[in-house]
Amino acid sequence: MTNGTANLEVLENLKLELRRGCLIVAVLAQLRTEQYGYTLRKALADDGLAIDEGTLYPLLRRLETQGLLVSQWREEDKRNKRFYRLSGDGEVTLQQLLAEWESINASLKNILQEASL
Amino acid sequence: MNDISSRNIDLVDRYLQAVRFWLPKTHRQDDLIAELGEDLRSQIDDKETELGHTLDKVEMAAILRRCGSPMMVASRLGPQRHLIGPALFPIYEFVLKMVLLWILIPVFIFIVGPVNLVDGGGNWPSAILRTFSNLWSGLFIAAGTITLVFAIVERTSAHLGDECNWDPLKLPPVRKQERKPSLLKGACEFGFSIFGVIWLLLVPAYPFLVLGPAAAFLKAAPLLHTFYLPFVLIGVFALARSGFTLARPQWTWFPLASQLLQSVFTLIVLNYMIKAIGNAPSTHPFVMLRDGVQSPANYVKLVAIVNISLLVSVVFTWIGACIAALQQTWAFLRYLRARDAALERIASIGVR
Repeated sequence: MTNGTANLEVLENLKLELRRGCLIVAVLAQLRTEQYGYTLRKALADDGLAIDEGTLYPLLRRLETQGLLVSQWREEDKRNKRFYRLSGDGEVTLQQLLAEWESINASLKNILQEASL
Repeated sequence: MNDISSRNIDLVDRYLQAVRFWLPKTHRQDDLIAELGEDLRSQIDDKETELGHTLDKVEMAAILRRCGSPMMVASRLGPQRHLIGPALFPIYEFVLKMVLLWILIPVFIFIVGPVNLVDGGGNWPSAILRTFSNLWSGLFIAAGTITLVFAIVERTSAHLGDECNWDPLKLPPVRKQERKPSLLKGACEFGFSIFGVIWLLLVPAYPFLVLGPAAAFLKAAPLLHTFYLPFVLIGVFALARSGFTLARPQWTWFPLASQLLQSVFTLIVLNYMIKAIGNAPSTHPFVMLRDGVQSPANYVKLVAIVNISLLVSVVFTWIGACIAALQQTWAFLRYLRARDAALERIASIGVR
């Protein structure tokens, strides 16, 4: 393995780790309005956060088990779809996560400014 | 519904069936499959709207290919599974290494190998082949058993709880990198050297010190008599070395240089010994049956096993001595380089 390929692999892994936490916040934020899996995936991809089926559906189930989402099977356009939306607890958690996000962002900005001095 | 769209639905159903096969059979399986199916159908609808026609076989295959192979999709959708979790894995790895590398392999080299050689009537290639085949299956069985035990522990005690209850105050002290030999270490080495030399000097008169109860029917072969004196000399040299190290701790060069000299001397003796074994007329170079032993046929196999075990030990001691000599040479050279650099620094301070 060349150095370049190794670095690329390391970068991809780091990006994946960075995205993992952000995806949860993004999913919770998107589900303030009710959506089913496919439209949620599309909305996230349109906003620049593409996510595959194998990652999204287990995540939705986990968030539902944790009580942050509620879901319901309903017929739409003659097809059964599972609709998700944020629960009351989910709304509170989202606000807390966004506050945490702001705090991390501010810290990071400070660190980067100090480093560039 | 036209033929193409019914064929597309059939392909999606076949895909979902393949994913279902790899998913664990839980109550969530139907739910996951229904949701994945809906996602795929929505993707097909979108693509058809974009292209303005019903998707053909190639376009359908492209969507499913992008989604991933059924096994991969199932692995992502299903719960994360592992045989041995991250909490137990370091212990599992440690036990596996200990058993396989430090117990099983030495047992096969020093015990099973010689036994196979004797059983095979001295046929070396066949004995080596048999030992390797035994070792191979032994490694598999041991590794399998250890893995099974750890997997059971993982399943039965999901939360060991020890990671929360550990006491930082019970951590072992930091191991010091010893630069100078400590007094205690030097004294112990000296004591053991005295003991070793006395033991060696007593062996000719009391062979049971080496052979144990087997001394009743075994005796040292002539080759051992020939090499007895060099071994005593090595013992005496080690005694003198440890005595000087204890009496003159300020001679920092001495332990390294004398240890290297001792290793080289040991290597030379072992080299001659291995050559002598190769040229020896007897197939029993180390020990042989005592004269007048009753029913000697009963002991033939035992004598052969002891001799082969000793031969293997001599060869491995030779390899170990080679490695030790290399490592000690390297340590001595590093010591000399560090001493020269220190002397240069002192000289440069004097010039200033």
